[in-house]
Amino acid sequence: MTAVALSTVEHGLKEPRGLSPRIQWLRDYYFQGTERAWNNEFVAWTTGTPWDVQFNEITFYIVPETYTLLQTLRGSFRQAARKIDLHPDFWSWSLVERRSWFIKQVMVNAMPKEVLPGDLIAGGRFNIQTSMCLTEKEQQEYDQSVLGKNGARSRMKWFHDHGYGNAGATSGHLIPDHARVLKTGWKAVYADLESRYGALNARDKKGPRGDQLRAMMTAATMPRELAAEYARLCHKLAADQNESHRRQEFLQMARNLERISWEPARTFWEAVQALWINHMLIMSDENYPGPGTSFGRIDQYLLPYWEYSLSHGMPREFGKEILKCFWVHCNTAYDAMIRNGNQGITAGFGQLITLAGMGQGGQDLTNDLTYAFLEVIDEMTPILEPKPNVRLHRNSPDKLLECLVDMIAVSQGSPFLLNFDERSMAGMILEARKAGISHLINESTVYDYAPVGCLENTMVGNDRSGTVDNNLNLLKAVELALTGGKDLLPFFNPMTGQEEKVKQDGPDTGDGAQFKSWDEFWQAYVEQTGYIIHKCVETYELSESIRAKFSPTAYLSCLVHGCAEKALDITRGGAEINFTTLEAVTYATTVDSLLAIKYLVFDKHQCSMAELIAAMKDNWQGHEVLQALAKNKAPKYGRDDDQADAMARQVMDLWCQETWKYKTASTNRQFRPGMLSWNYWAGDGFVMAASANGRPRGEFLSNAICPSNGADINGPTSNANSVGKVLGGRAADGNGDWQDYLNCLPNGASHTITFNPSIIKDPEHREKFKAFLRGYCENGGTCLQVNMLDADMLQDAQQNPANYRHLLVRITGYNAYFTTVGKELQDEVICRVSHGRF
Amino acid sequence: MEATILEIQRMSTEDGPGLRTTVFFKGCSLHCNWCHNPESISPRAQVHWIENRCIGCKICLEVCPQAALSFTEAGNKIDRVLCNGCGLCVEQCPAGALELLGEQWELDDLVAELIKDKAYFDKSGGGVTLSGGEPTLQAPFAGRLLQQLKNLGIHTALDTCGLSPWPAMEGILPYVDLVLYDLKVMDSHLHRAYTGSGNEKILANLMHLRDVMVSDGHPRQLWIRTPIIPGATDAASNIRDIGRFVGTHLNGVVSRWELCAFNNLCRDKYRRLDRDWQFKDCALLGKLSMEKMAAVARNCGVDPDIVHWSGSTLLEAGAKMNAA
Repeated sequence: MTAVALSTVEHGLKEPRGLSPRIQWLRDYYFQGTERAWNNEFVAWTTGTPWDVQFNEITFYIVPETYTLLQTLRGSFRQAARKIDLHPDFWSWSLVERRSWFIKQVMVNAMPKEVLPGDLIAGGRFNIQTSMCLTEKEQQEYDQSVLGKNGARSRMKWFHDHGYGNAGATSGHLIPDHARVLKTGWKAVYADLESRYGALNARDKKGPRGDQLRAMMTAATMPRELAAEYARLCHKLAADQNESHRRQEFLQMARNLERISWEPARTFWEAVQALWINHMLIMSDENYPGPGTSFGRIDQYLLPYWEYSLSHGMPREFGKEILKCFWVHCNTAYDAMIRNGNQGITAGFGQLITLAGMGQGGQDLTNDLTYAFLEVIDEMTPILEPKPNVRLHRNSPDKLLECLVDMIAVSQGSPFLLNFDERSMAGMILEARKAGISHLINESTVYDYAPVGCLENTMVGNDRSGTVDNNLNLLKAVELALTGGKDLLPFFNPMTGQEEKVKQDGPDTGDGAQFKSWDEFWQAYVEQTGYIIHKCVETYELSESIRAKFSPTAYLSCLVHGCAEKALDITRGGAEINFTTLEAVTYATTVDSLLAIKYLVFDKHQCSMAELIAAMKDNWQGHEVLQALAKNKAPKYGRDDDQADAMARQVMDLWCQETWKYKTASTNRQFRPGMLSWNYWAGDGFVMAASANGRPRGEFLSNAICPSNGADINGPTSNANSVGKVLGGRAADGNGDWQDYLNCLPNGASHTITFNPSIIKDPEHREKFKAFLRGYCENGGTCLQVNMLDADMLQDAQQNPANYRHLLVRITGYNAYFTTVGKELQDEVICRVSHGRF
Repeated sequence: MEATILEIQRMSTEDGPGLRTTVFFKGCSLHCNWCHNPESISPRAQVHWIENRCIGCKICLEVCPQAALSFTEAGNKIDRVLCNGCGLCVEQCPAGALELLGEQWELDDLVAELIKDKAYFDKSGGGVTLSGGEPTLQAPFAGRLLQQLKNLGIHTALDTCGLSPWPAMEGILPYVDLVLYDLKVMDSHLHRAYTGSGNEKILANLMHLRDVMVSDGHPRQLWIRTPIIPGATDAASNIRDIGRFVGTHLNGVVSRWELCAFNNLCRDKYRRLDRDWQFKDCALLGKLSMEKMAAVARNCGVDPDIVHWSGSTLLEAGAKMNAA
């Protein structure tokens, strides 16, 4: 039987459409992956010293999948590294100057330069692994602090292996001040640095402030020199080109490149070319391909150039053609480790663009360029980068929603993150108050916020908030409260085949089995929550301080307001706004576990605490009735049940309050709370012991701010209401942080809802779905991701991956090709509650 | 004040305009043999057992005071004579495999539940729909509920089969914005054969309703709904007869006539209630059949713009593959 009683929607895979032969070729070529003759694989470069190292593993500490590869990567880049002839004074310079000079040397003079057939944008290879440029003594110190017995690597691994989560100072994840550099050109940046340097006294000139500004001046000329190299190449290609149309294109590209990025951009083509060079060099500077290096409100700051060019004869379609070339360039970031399989796609990248949204005074800023971007996305999809996040608010135009819903309807819902301005801005105002920076974020500036990576809200051009740097499993505190500060089960080390002895780790809050009341247990939970957050902060401090000392990024510092002013590198806290974010993972699992303990042990007396602990130790084997009670009878977060959500709110308040207590010791960055779970909730489900909500080890934890799998039984509106409530809801007295909105998570919270495609089956239902989005703006969270999938199709894709190579699904704040994610994650996507009962 | 409620379904998209919360009342004055909510027919609370949730602990057998439960090869057998719907087994079942169909709701609790989605009602032009079962069988409660919802500024809809004492219906109409009124079969004999009652009373009530709407201007809207059941209501002559009735008597009063495609997702519900269902092997209608039916409806004297069809249809073989 092939008849399926699901819906009349004939639901197929989205195909790209309306592509010119040029773009079709570039797109197809990109998807050839490892079979391509050209790629953007990491190339490693060395100073030639015997102690030299390239790979900065700290930036991968938040990617547990890489832990077993760290040593190999370190070794293989060392082995493959090619030598750069050093400036005779090189070793007399400060580290930041050495590194800045070295990267410029690599990018301008050493990396090969090509333009792909038909491409309208220059700037190809940018994935590099450069020497850390350390002296022998510095390298020893670095290695000691990273690889030593109590070094960053072993501390971080312990933190992860024991189920706490992960933490590490990670590159990318910010929005540079592209708008300024396009408007004034790099010459203005350079002039500013020069005058600041000139204003230093003789002593400062010789000290770190002088070092920093000189390094930044070196970096500030890198885009010009690189563009000049590409201009020369374009002239040469033009000379060799017989076909006159393409020859003219090369000549125009050469003229563009001769002007930018030093001079201000004038035309749309110049602006996109300059933006690309400026952006790709950040990835070169950080040796980090893409993740979270975001563009901000691109449809706002590119608009003047778009309008200028349209009014000076640029056909609209040609403008889109330029953008499509830009699209292909962004995707080549994935080539970095292309030989590692999956075409090098790890699904973890996020060069995010922000579209539409509110302007000053609450007016809507959607414009023609917004729609041009949406058309480009629609025509290019499925393709991963750059990722769009569309800002919605109460005054978002119906036309925009209509357009989004149409696109969601044909593309499995995948191309979008939807950010909700009112709730998001309330969180930004809160963080300003908490950190005492209301002069930087206030009612007349906050509307210009933009999300980074996936949905992590920051300000633009002056803000680095470490949006993915700390990922803490809140559930660990429940475990420690049950055991009095020890792991529930001993850690089994697969490398040694040995079981470690369980040790007292957290505070001894007493044996959980002896607690007589819920309040006693809650007190223990409170204490352990304080402990795990403190532990996370300490773990993070190691890598933060190492980065501050050894890994300056002078070029990136030029693009972030505050670094020049303070003559301080961005890795040392140079940005005007400096938070680091603690992302809570396992939120719903934690809340549901607490609800289950209260319900089973203290309210309903279904079992004793000792029995519950024993059941969890046995991974629920032989305790099926108790497990069923925990799963089915105990209340759950995510059902718009006010009592259960009140517990959720208590948990939220507690961990947020603890998080606000800390700053990094080495760089003075304030910790702030958020909820993004990337893929940790899947992987750590195998690391963490069974939980009191009935979940056995190996079953997934909950994702970001979403309810636990299967808990969400009252539909999308109740799910959204619960999320809005735990973020703070709306102020009863009307005095919220943005109007009456409250939001305790300034970073934002990832929320995914899967719908059955029948919710958008005809125009009438599309109106209903649009209304759902408008309702979400009132009641929901900061960011919503919509999946439009039916389980049948996913199961078919799992069995016949070849037929679904381009099927995009949303994992948590990011899209991934379904067939390239692991089986466990595939299963998770399939078993998510799919809404659409009729 | 209490009512027996079967289910509260939020973000409902098929029971009137916009996004709605639908309250399913338990107990119906008809028992249509195609009914897709068979658990709504009896006014009493009933227990059913969901096989794939059961963990086999048999706690239910121990707690049932009536000894109404027994495990057989076919699973947990509920003796429908012995079971009085006390719900003890449901309360004790750890796995949620036993469910109580029909729970008592206090008026205030229900109102509190229904206002939770007000933001979505307001943005979508939606609201609350009373459905069932037949909500007018619990008219005093339904009226009070609707009155409170109206006081809160919520759009209200009443989904009725039309078979109810007129005073019961009349009493709640002042608080109803939209009536969803079923016309299933125009031949009264056939109507009786399929639903257990003739349709005279239903048609008479509909005429009363029309008169109230014309004289009071309230309820503001009337939708007619016709289930399209293969071999029962789907004869072209039946559709034409309904159309003629609507065209003759309700012209200008009805704003929508919805043909609702037969739905077989309720197969398991019948099994769980230990009832045979004569439509259990009946396939969904094809999209083409529904379009044909709609074409007939548009061609029998009603304003063609008011005719809509809805519901799940057969996904034609291969459609998915082609699309992929």
